[in-house]
Amino acid sequence: MTVLAEALLILGAFIAALAGIGIVRFSSSYARFHAAGKASPVAFLVAGLGAGIELGWVGAGYVFIAAAAMVLTLPVGVHLLFRAVHRTTDNAGLVADELIRAEALSGVRPSAESDV
Amino acid sequence: MITLAVGGFALAGLCGVYRLLAGPSLADRIVALDLLLLSLMGSLVVDAVERDDTTYLIVPVVLAIIGFTATVAACRFIEHEQRVIAEVGP
Repeated sequence: MTVLAEALLILGAFIAALAGIGIVRFSSSYARFHAAGKASPVAFLVAGLGAGIELGWVGAGYVFIAAAAMVLTLPVGVHLLFRAVHRTTDNAGLVADELIRAEALSGVRPSAESDV
Repeated sequence: MITLAVGGFALAGLCGVYRLLAGPSLADRIVALDLLLLSLMGSLVVDAVERDDTTYLIVPVVLAIIGFTATVAACRFIEHEQRVIAEVGP
């Protein structure tokens, strides 16, 4: 096992642990989604890079497909979660809220009669 | 090496379990489940490297796609539930 693959695997696990610590420690839902949604694809990308170096072409192909699916889909899913929380909770305590203005401008009501 | 890598993913999984049990809203539990899924995928990759065996590497591929589908379905459910409560009452 090469040193580079080991280092990348451990770095990926460390980033995943950071995501976990963020999801426990942060105080608001938005901050928790931020920690989980940003760090998760990076963690899998880094760990998958290390695994691809170590496993050869077949393993690298599998890991590449998994990483591509995750990087393409997970930000979209977390964005949908953000929007669902924004539509279903009281947003009075937010410092800045650009989504509610954009939805008002485009004619989309936040939670009344809009469908996705 | 294997202890350190699996330990990092296991710590992420433990944090996800805590948020899954304690999370105040449904969306918090969903994002905790996403983190649990990431921890499982990473552990499978580390396991494949440790045993030098690519047999089970198809599982992270499937998990990535299934996880996205589940998240989207849950978001639709949250928004729809809120709309039904607003129209009909709890």
